Amino acid sequence: MDLASLGGELLGTIPLGDIVLYLTPFHLFMFVVVLIFTFLIAISRTETQIEGSFGTLKDHKVSVGLEEFKARRFLAIICGLATAGAMITGDLFNFTLFIALIGIVNVGIVSAVKQVDVLDAAYQYGIIAMICSLPLFGGAAIVLASTGTLSLFEIASMASATPMMIFGAILLMIGVAGETGIAPFFATKAEMFRTPGSPFILIIHLSSLFVIIRAIEILLILVKVI
Amino acid sequence: MSRIGRLWNSLANPDRIPKLFAIVLGAVILIGFLIPLDLNVDQLYPRPVPQEQVEENISTAPYARGGEVLESPGITRAQYPENSKSLGWINSYMSPLAIWVASTSPYFGTSIYSSPGGLIDEILYYTRGFDTILESTILMMAFVIASWLGVNFTMNRKKREAEAAADKSKDYYDPTLNKNKTYYYNNQNSNIKEEQD
Repeated sequence: MDLASLGGELLGTIPLGDIVLYLTPFHLFMFVVVLIFTFLIAISRTETQIEGSFGTLKDHKVSVGLEEFKARRFLAIICGLATAGAMITGDLFNFTLFIALIGIVNVGIVSAVKQVDVLDAAYQYGIIAMICSLPLFGGAAIVLASTGTLSLFEIASMASATPMMIFGAILLMIGVAGETGIAPFFATKAEMFRTPGSPFILIIHLSSLFVIIRAIEILLILVKVI
Repeated sequence: MSRIGRLWNSLANPDRIPKLFAIVLGAVILIGFLIPLDLNVDQLYPRPVPQEQVEENISTAPYARGGEVLESPGITRAQYPENSKSLGWINSYMSPLAIWVASTSPYFGTSIYSSPGGLIDEILYYTRGFDTILESTILMMAFVIASWLGVNFTMNRKKREAEAAADKSKDYYDPTLNKNKTYYYNNQNSNIKEEQD
């Protein structure tokens, strides 16, 4: 599928050696929206939760300390910037690196919470994110081997997809799904959301939503079914 | 219907997700062995034919990339040559020690201290420099997270416990400290799990 029908008219490129970021209305829109959300998250403060408990009249105030707040805000900003970068990159390997950065920062955002079951869920998510670096980079490597290039421009101009390219695209999709924690891995992320510190937790969710849109676009470029 | 519900419920347990995922991934990779191999020989970073350089008696075989440092460019190809105009100029760079070894021994290329250093520099810092920035950012973030956790959860744990013990009125809830509340939290969860099973 050609780039113009996916993202609109090409407005320009940002050449960084072999890695060329491309700007179309679609990608620019997503880039700017992610940056706006990152800014909102950067200037906001965390929520405080009150946890009731069954069987007693006690309740706990669950708040976020200042140091934890600072660490989480830093990681949330990095996560937002990585998501924004993944929106406009025009290189397959560059995209996978952005995804890996999002994955590790997501684990970091929840790693400092003080709720045991949230930490358990974050641990499971971290394991998935680590396993997923295999299909993620493996998929990119298989695409490189079968096409001889990593540039999405070059891949988009190819006529047809070979079975090995499609297999590479499937592996890449598995890697993206696990690294950002979408559909089958919701359970771990739903547990992670139970911790206080709402805006910083939300960037985990937001990044996966945006990344999945971009990943589907890249899959359409690779697989050429339409 | 209830079977599917039970399946979804078992998927809702975070402990099972990595195991299930590992099995699925293993199956997909096994299926991948059935896919016909399809290698594009017109690769972006070309390699010489195996043994070709050895037969020509080049001491840096199989890593000789041609060219002279800062005099003539060697063999490196870029996806967009217009973006990296001085590509290949440090392609065959070797340190003085490596030059000396290569001049005395014909087997320098096969030794452990030889490397296509210049070529890797061309790719890492010139054509794909942005990837290198991102890779080191990933590493840096991993170290930031690990060291933050190390400082705050491991090294300062005694201090936090002492503070929590001294301040009786404090209602700051911290189950990672060794207090009874932690175990209450766990028990509550395990009860829920038993009911599901």
